[in-house]
Amino acid sequence: MWQFITDRSDQIVYNTLQHANLVIQAVALATVIAVALAVLITRVPRLSGLANALSAIGLTIPSFALVGLLLPLAGIGATTAFIAVTFYAVLPILRNAVVGLQGVDKTLLESSRGLGMSELTSLWRVRLPLAWPVILAGVRTSMQMSMGIAAIAAYVLGPGLGGYIFTGLAQIGGANAVNYAVVGTVGIVIVALLADLLLLLLGRLTISKGIRA
Amino acid sequence: MLVLPPVLVGLVFAGFVVWRQTADLDSVESSQLAWPTIWRLILQHVELTFVAALLVVALAVPLGIALTRGQLRRAAPLVVGIANGGQAAPAVGLVVLLALWLDFGFWTAVLALVLYGILPVLRNTITGLQGVDPTLVEAGRGMGMSAASVLLRIELPLAVPVIMAGVRTALVLLVGTASLATFIGAGGLGEMITTGISLFRFSLMVSGALLIALLALLIEWLGRLLELLTRPKGI
Repeated sequence: MWQFITDRSDQIVYNTLQHANLVIQAVALATVIAVALAVLITRVPRLSGLANALSAIGLTIPSFALVGLLLPLAGIGATTAFIAVTFYAVLPILRNAVVGLQGVDKTLLESSRGLGMSELTSLWRVRLPLAWPVILAGVRTSMQMSMGIAAIAAYVLGPGLGGYIFTGLAQIGGANAVNYAVVGTVGIVIVALLADLLLLLLGRLTISKGIRA
Repeated sequence: MLVLPPVLVGLVFAGFVVWRQTADLDSVESSQLAWPTIWRLILQHVELTFVAALLVVALAVPLGIALTRGQLRRAAPLVVGIANGGQAAPAVGLVVLLALWLDFGFWTAVLALVLYGILPVLRNTITGLQGVDPTLVEAGRGMGMSAASVLLRIELPLAVPVIMAGVRTALVLLVGTASLATFIGAGGLGEMITTGISLFRFSLMVSGALLIALLALLIEWLGRLLELLTRPKGI
């Protein structure tokens, strides 16, 4: 096992970074999309029921099915993987962002208006900072989920560590089959843990001092 | 919200049937999309999901009960922590590793599914039982009920809604993960997608994906129905 890893350390490090890269980019894009949608939803309350229903349906649809649906449109490779991961990453963040933004005390919004803030300033300086801890909790859920979805997307040659799992499967009976599958699986768990730590750190740095627990 | 999902699923499935009967398919497509094949895959998928779900409930609920009793109570956070950590492992990795370690086929896929689906039910069983008002337990004991009948007639009925919410979450996880069973030769609708990818037929990929999505929505709805039906009348 150790021999297997040291022999391929360059390649393993490269694929690990690719995995992290794919997931982090997708989750970052998903955060922007989800927060934008959530702002829209909280402005038009009628949309919130629809958004809840759609995100429940979205989370029910298995990721391998979405990969199958995307293939004719986006082809084999990284594009399909990126779209699939981003799609699922949006859903938990959206749910939390709506809850977080709706949870902001109405009197605070009134105060901010009274201080002469425009709606945009009030969003940027009052509502988003207050909702941020809840949004970030959604981002953490998304990140964990996305790690596994990126692994499945490797079946259609998406980048990252998932490829090792399928190599292991393809080489069944071969000397390195188990090594490949273990490196892929354990590698993803490690990347997921590190990413979660990074998000905790990001929380320490970005959650407004006034509301930090 | 309880009528709409099955109607929608039914409509889309009817659309699929119409497409299947009228579409101009080449010989590969029409043999892979023959109705006996489609039903076999659907049946396999449902079988994987439900066998795993039954095992999950049969294992997780007693385990959850044990972890809220006596000395074992203290081990509960540890067990939930381990199960939580296990959830971070990618499903496809778990499926493949188990298949390399044991063997290809139905029961290995079921084992992987059970390992993957056990957490929500276990966690909710523990949370549900812990959420029962201790004064009610005390009242039951005071009325002369044994510990077992307090469990069966007070604690479990009160915890059922929380436990069933966990079962529904598990069902959704299971039906999704069952689409990976095809990688280890255990069939299911995932096979239609993998066949479609190997033979490069978009019609197969999309049909497989669509049927999995419909099945998942239907099973989620079934879970919600089950949640409503098992809720004790008093609460």
